[in-house]
Order: sequence, then structure tokens, then C-alpha cells
Amino acid sequence: MTALLNILAIGLLLGGIYALVSLGLNLIFGVIRIVNFAQGEFVMLGMYGALSASLAMGMDPYLSPVVVMPAMFILGCIVYRFILRPLQGEPMMQIFATFGLLMVIENGILGLTGGIGQNVSSFISSVSVRIGPIQIGLPRILVLVLASVATAALWWCLRYTLRGKAIRAVAQDRKAARLMGIDVEQIFMLSFGLGAAFAGLAGCLLAPLYTLSPQIGMNFIMPAFAVVVLGGLGSVPGAFVGGIIVGLTEALSGFYLDPALKHAVLFMVFIIVLVLRPAGLFGVSGAEEVGLREQS
Amino acid sequence: MTAASGRAFDGAAPSRSLSNYGVVGFRVELLRLIVAMAILGLIVAFYLGDTFTLNILATTFLFAGLATAWNIIGGLGGQFSLGHSVFFAIGAYVTAGFYMRLGVSPWFALAPAAVLAAIVSALVSFPVFRLRGPFFAIATMALTEVVLSLALYFESVTGGARGISVPFRRGFANMIFTDRLSYALLMMGFLAITLLVLAYIARSRLGYELRAIRDNDRTAEAAGINVVRTKLIGMAISAALMAIGGGLYMMYVRVADPPTLLSLFDIGVKVALITLIGGIGTIYGPLLGALLVVPLESMLRATLGGVFPGSNLVVLGIILILTALYLRKGIAGAAEGIYTRIRKGRRT
Amino acid sequence: MKLTRRSFGGLAIGTAAATLVNRNAWAADPIKIGAVNPYSGAMAQYGDEVTKCYELAAKVVNEKGGLLGRQVEIVRGSATSPQEAIAAVEQLVGRDKVDMLTGCYVSAISNAASEAALNYGKLFWETNALAISLTDRGLPNFARSGPSSNEFALRSVQAVLELIAPSIKKTAPDITVWIEHEDSSYGTSIKDEQVRLLKEKGVKYSVGSHSAKAIDVTDSILRAKDAKPDVWISTAYVPDTNLLLRAARDQGFKPSAIVLVGVGDTPETLSALGKEYLEGVLLVSYPRPDINPKYGPGASGFLDLYRKSYNRDPIAPQGLTAFVGLKMLFDAINAAKSIEFEAIIAGAKTLDKPVGSYETGYGVKFDKNMQNTRALPVVAQWQGGAVKAVFPPEALSEGVKVVNLPRQS
Repeated sequence: MTALLNILAIGLLLGGIYALVSLGLNLIFGVIRIVNFAQGEFVMLGMYGALSASLAMGMDPYLSPVVVMPAMFILGCIVYRFILRPLQGEPMMQIFATFGLLMVIENGILGLTGGIGQNVSSFISSVSVRIGPIQIGLPRILVLVLASVATAALWWCLRYTLRGKAIRAVAQDRKAARLMGIDVEQIFMLSFGLGAAFAGLAGCLLAPLYTLSPQIGMNFIMPAFAVVVLGGLGSVPGAFVGGIIVGLTEALSGFYLDPALKHAVLFMVFIIVLVLRPAGLFGVSGAEEVGLREQS
Repeated sequence: MTAASGRAFDGAAPSRSLSNYGVVGFRVELLRLIVAMAILGLIVAFYLGDTFTLNILATTFLFAGLATAWNIIGGLGGQFSLGHSVFFAIGAYVTAGFYMRLGVSPWFALAPAAVLAAIVSALVSFPVFRLRGPFFAIATMALTEVVLSLALYFESVTGGARGISVPFRRGFANMIFTDRLSYALLMMGFLAITLLVLAYIARSRLGYELRAIRDNDRTAEAAGINVVRTKLIGMAISAALMAIGGGLYMMYVRVADPPTLLSLFDIGVKVALITLIGGIGTIYGPLLGALLVVPLESMLRATLGGVFPGSNLVVLGIILILTALYLRKGIAGAAEGIYTRIRKGRRT
Repeated sequence: MKLTRRSFGGLAIGTAAATLVNRNAWAADPIKIGAVNPYSGAMAQYGDEVTKCYELAAKVVNEKGGLLGRQVEIVRGSATSPQEAIAAVEQLVGRDKVDMLTGCYVSAISNAASEAALNYGKLFWETNALAISLTDRGLPNFARSGPSSNEFALRSVQAVLELIAPSIKKTAPDITVWIEHEDSSYGTSIKDEQVRLLKEKGVKYSVGSHSAKAIDVTDSILRAKDAKPDVWISTAYVPDTNLLLRAARDQGFKPSAIVLVGVGDTPETLSALGKEYLEGVLLVSYPRPDINPKYGPGASGFLDLYRKSYNRDPIAPQGLTAFVGLKMLFDAINAAKSIEFEAIIAGAKTLDKPVGSYETGYGVKFDKNMQNTRALPVVAQWQGGAVKAVFPPEALSEGVKVVNLPRQS
């Protein structure tokens, strides 16, 4: 019983990590429908951003989003404006461009750091909390809590602010949105910028958990796609629940089956869900095609 | 892919001469193919003594062949698979397995490799073909991850993480040569076969059906095309050719482990990328793409690789982004654009 | 300066004279050694470090007048995969005209590169790659100067039986071991040999594997924790080792001893876990520059040279083994008085130096497969934020003793 509780807790916390990483991708893939290979690299940049803030200003990684998120927002806007927007209507070329971007960012950081693993520590790094029979590291709990808060905040913004409503409108039907007088281009740029900023946030919060390497972004990208598609494109609560599902699947199969097989199980489940319900668990059926049909 | 993307790719080729296969007959195409091979042969002859370049050419031809194989389902059929490394790996493992365990010459082991890859591709594609566009692409990526995990786990079949290494026993029957020229010619042969298959399919009923599905699968279905069956056949042929490429790669490198064979980026994405750069859906596009990408990659690695960690890949990444931005229809598309402009210029 | 005909003539003569003098000084063209290593991608860091130390070894020998009267030059060839390894060999031999090849930090790359080198009749001198299969091939141009995966496994099992077992007052059959390994070639090779050795001694063990790409490895730790082992041995790469240790700390997994094989001995792990947690963690590692000078003579000289050349401390002990590996190659070349691969291999076979001859404490004596039988890693331990060699006993520096074993915390 304790073992089960323990592993469920671990799965939940891992789900928090996935939910956090997927927030940004959900905006980019869900709204603009760009398969952004470089999203994991944005998370990695966020991590190195937290590292730089800590090295340069002695800033705690949990404070660093204040600096990192705006920087990543600007980077996202630049990337969208100069690389992805010119390729609108050519989704395959966009995939290809984000792949080029991935190579540049990953190897740029490799060149800058020489590939030496880096660590960012916070004052709570090594605190471990005991809840009943379960023992958990405080940084992980913090990730889950902050992922929930960020999800709620994003959900609220999309739901109740004018810009948020515009983003949702574009995600649902960009042609109709344009007809309603929404500046679709601007919304795309905003979404991409926000997507990058949220990746930056994820990077900052995850930095204390990992040893940073230029390749770490790659580890996040595939599960993040799984989360976004599972949850339902463009659905903010969906991505959160998708994250938790992926986290639990991974932890349970790792513990009860074999850690070496957990990726196989995870992605098998993902493929099955995808085939049975392409719209994702929380997406509106058929929504996965809207916006793909019309790229202009 | 989806209707939108399909349109995007042929929409801008006004004359459609390169993509309109009906205009020239198969015989003319055969002639073109022979000319293309002759040019490649001349390039090889020019670099006869230069093993460094010959090796690059061998890799180039191999990847040109792989990209051409991918182009059958990815270009003609519009199914943007990023999981072709699975079939590549099947080819490598089956060839090595038959050769090392049963003593079958790799030349003959290529056949079961191709058949197995075709069967596996049909089995896994059947459910996945329900998906469209990026969803299909992501599902095939996930498939790569599944197979990679399984390949690492089931050591008895794949040799696990340590991989397999084929002992060095030179000889034609073993498909193991000491000189790079033999490999360059071997890979050129593979390329010729894939081009022949693609050229033939492009003119066959299958090819037209695949293109109809790419352009609009619903219209195609309404027109009486069995969409799933057509896509499955296209995929099976593509996978079989991919597996042959995998088998050749295995005998060329003679050491392979799951992370190399099932590399998402070095195989799965790369074949799609080469095709896109060259010109998706065209017959010679993948070859042109490979002729640009592979030597560029090798040269960058040889000149910059040791200088500053990662610098060669930064430069390559920048070139990829620029290519995406300025060569949107691929080299074939750009060439066609220039050709049309010249013709128009003459007329007026 | 305005370039007139006269000044140009003077310049030309000057250049020619300088070339002549140079020629005399060098006596002949340099001996070029191609260094095949990954300089990009996930393994770039150690690939670069290993080659930096080849360059140091070349510098040292050049200052002493070179090799066979010729200078030594290291030329880099970048490879992150077997296919690129072949391309790198073609580049180094075909374009850069190197005389022999060395490397490498990754077994799969070494495998492909050494075969490609054989095509040209060039030596491939392996200094760092671990897979035992490399020497089992019996390639005529191949020799490995450093330890293989078997030596690492052997030392880890020795640590269990000779260091840990007495300290927890248990003997071979009663002690329980958990073998955790990464699902890479490196991890599985060492795991297999560890399993073989433990079985031989009748020790009870369980095995767990994990992916280096895993976002979370807590499940692996929980499985190990459930098995309640006395000793937890882990063979992994740097980021996942750190992740495993963090999960172990968070989960309160406290085996009597923790042994890390191959990694975990760098500042990367120290800054991730802190010196309090690491206190007493055992490491099976390449010998380090701060080893007992009687065991590894001249190691501190290497450290000074490295610091002077690169303005920092070595990032990993792999470098010292690479440095020593190249010194062994130079010894073999001096014995052979030739740079042909058959002669060098024959020369290497005549080398016979006892353990403790080189900076790493290695000796040199090749077996019939050209594996150096006198290159053994050491068992070290984290003590107060520094790594100290603790086994074999000869490697212990003065005043160093084993601490915090069994682990208290």
C-alpha cells in the first residue's frame, strides 16, 4: 500500500513537470499549429537563463522567471517574426526550420559552456518533506504547485481577457477570427512569444532538479508532444491533466514493470489514445483538423 | 499530408513540368535516369583516388536513396512520416542477423529484410494512418521511441545497447570491401534502384492515387480510391526500400547500436529534410537534396568539427534555416522557377 | 611598408631562409597523429578533454626533442557516431595525411574508426574506450593502453568484497548488492561483468536499468530501496548519476555503501549534491592527478602542466589516462623505431613496465589481444568535497583513510 501511494505521489509530481513543460508547447502547437522541435531547447535556454541569473546576480532560481520570462518572450517573438511567419502555409518547412533552430541553440550552448554539466541550487534544493509514509523533495512539490498556478492563470487569461479570447478564437477557426476583425498575425506572434516565455518559466523551475547539459531539452520534447496531444490541442486544463496522466503512466510502468520499458509503455499508450481519439481527451472532436485545413 | 499542405507544395509550380509525370513517358524518364547516373558516375570517376571524397559520395548516395524511398510515401502520398528509421533499423538487424547467425550472404539477406520491413510497416501504419498532418508525424516519432526502447530491452534480438558488430571479412560475397570506391558504387546502385521504383510508381495508377490522396483524401475517396489500401501499399514499398538501405548501411559501417539506427534526427528527420530541401514529390529532388546536405555536413565537420565544440552544427543549423526561408520549394522547385522564367522571357 | 621589388626580394629570401632554418630545427616533417573523438553532441565535453590531453602529451615529448627526431602533431577528427567515425578517418588519412590514429572516448566510434584505419594500414591506438569487444576482435592495428570495462567491473566488485564487506562485518554470501546501470553500451558492458564476478563469489544481487534520457528516475530508486541492498552500485553518465543520487536523497534511500562507476567524481556531481551528502561515496574511477606520487609518479607534474596550458583544473580524470595512453604510444614507437603499424604493435609487445610506472599508476604489458593488462582504475572516495584514492592500498596518499563506511546519515 505504501509502495503504491509512494509511486502515485511520484507520478503526480512527474506529471507536474510534464504539465509545466507542456504549457508553452500547448500554446504554440495548439494555437499556431507549428510542430516546434525547438520547444525543448527553449526550456533548456530557460534553465541556462536561471543559471546565468544565479551566477551574475546571485538570484535564486525561483525568482529568476522575472528576468527569464520577458527575455524568452522577446526571443520567441523574434523567432516567430523572422523565421516562422515567412513560412506560413508551409507546415513542413516550418518543422524543418524549427529543427535548424534546435541545432543552432543546442550547439550554441554547447560551444559556450564546453558541455560541462552545470548545477543551479536554491536554498530549498535539498529539503525533503515527509507526508505520512511518503517522502518527497520540496522542489518537486513546488513544481507541481506552480504548474497548477500557472495553468490556472493561463486558463483565466484565455477565458476572460480580450487578448485571451482572441487567442482562443484563432485556435478554433482562424478564418472566422480574421473575419471578426482579429489581427491573426499579432495573435500568432503573441502566442509564440508566450509559448517561449512559459518554456522559460519551466526551465527556471526545473533547473534546481537537474544537472544542466545542452542536450537536456531533447529529453522533454517527445513527452511534451504526447502531453499536448493527449490533453487536447489548445485546451489548457487538458494539457495539465495530460501531463498528470503521462507522469502517472511513466511512474507506474517504471516501478511495476521495468524502468527500461517505461518509455515504450508511455508512447504506446500515447499512440493508442491518439488513434482512438485524435482530438485528445479534452479537445473537441474534429478540432485537430481545424486550422490545419486553412493555413493562409 | 493535409489538403492545405498538399496545395502549398504544388500550388507555386505554375508549369508543373517537374511534378507532372504524365507528360513524359517512362522511357524518357529511363533515359533521364541513365543520364543522371552517368553524371554521378563521372563525379565518382573524377574523385577516384580521393578516398575522403569517395566516402562522402558513398554516404551521399545512400542518403539520396533513403530520401528517395521516403519520398514515395512522404512526397507522393503526402504522409509526413518521421519514423522511417524503424524500417531502416529492421533492414540493418535482419541483414546482420542472417549474415552472422545463418551465414547468409548480405546480398540475399536484403530480401527478407525488405519483406519484414514491408509487413511491419503495414501493421503499424494501419492504425496510424487514421491521423493526419502533424498528428501523423508526431505519432511516427513516438513509434521511433517505442521501438528504440524495445530494441534496447530485447538484447537477444538486437544485441542490446552494445549493438552488433559484423566481423571484418572482406569479400564480394560478404559485401565487405576495403576500398571506398566499391561502397560508392554499391550505394549508387541502391540509389538507382530507388529512383527507378519512384519513377515507375509516379507514372503508375498507384502514384496517381497517392497524389490524389495527398491533395485531398476525401475527394480521392469519393472518386473511388481505397485510401487506406493505397497508403498502405505506398508505405510498404517505401519501407522495403528503406530496409534495403539499412542493410547496406550495416555492411558499410559494420557496427550499429539502437541509438544510431533509430536516431530520430540522424535518420528519421534527416531523410525527410533532405527530400524537402531537394524538392518534395519530385523524382530527382531527394538526390539533389542529398548532394547538397551530406557533403556540406561532412565538410563542415571536417573543417570546423575539431575547432570549437558544436560549431559545425551551429553553422549547419543556420544554413538549414536559411534554406527553409529562401528555398521553399526545394532545389527542384527553384530550378523550375528559373527555367519557367527563362522560357517566359524568351516568349515575350 | 611599401612593397618595392627590393624589399620583396629581401622578404622572399628571408622567408626562404627561415624555412630552411625551420627545416633544420625540425629535421623532418612532424609525425601526425589523428585524434578521433566526439567534439559535438552529448559527449563533446569529455571528447574535447581527452584530445586536449593528447595535445599535452605531444607538447611534452616535443619539448624533449620529439619522437624519432621528429615533432609530434595532433590533428583532430570529429565523430559522434560510427558513420562519422569512418568519415573522420577518411578525412584524417586522406586529407590530413596523418601517420596513425588515436582516440577515443566512445566504444562504437572506436570500433568503426579502427576498422577504417586498418583499410589504410594505419595504427589505431585506443586510450579510453571501454567495451571489451574492442580488443576481442584481434584487429592487427589495434591496441588499448587504458583499462576496459572489465577492469572497472573488477574494481567495483573488489570494492564490495574487500572494502565494504569488512566494514559492515559481512562476508561474501551474506552481502546484498543492487546493480543499477544506464541502458547504454557502456552501462551494460560493465553490468554484465559485475554480474559474472558477483555470481562467481556467490553474492546476492539484483539488477536495475534506466534510460539516460529519463526525466525522472525515482522509480528506479524505489525499486532498489524495496530490495534493501547493503551496497548500491551505479554505472551511468553524469546527468543521470546526479539525478539518481538526488532521488535517493529525497526518497531517504540509505544503503550502507554507494559505489559510482566511471563518473560521479567531478565537480559536476559535487555541486549537484553537496559535500555532506557525498561524504564517503565510493568511486571506481580513472586514477586522478592527486594520487599518491609513489603509486603514480609525476601526476602532479601533469596537473601543473594542465593548469599552465588551459588555465583551469582538469574537468575529468579521463584526461590523465589519455595523456598516459599517448606516452605509452610514444614508448612503443621508440621501441619500434618506426611509425608503421606492425612495427609499433611489435614494439608495444616488448614493453614491460610494472604497475606504478606512469602518472596514473599504470604499468604496461600487453596481452595477445593487445589489451594492456596493467592499467587498472582505482577506487576513490569523496572526502570533505575532494576525491581521494582509497584502493588499492598502494594508491592511498599519506594520511588518507576510508571514511563514513558504512554510511551514517
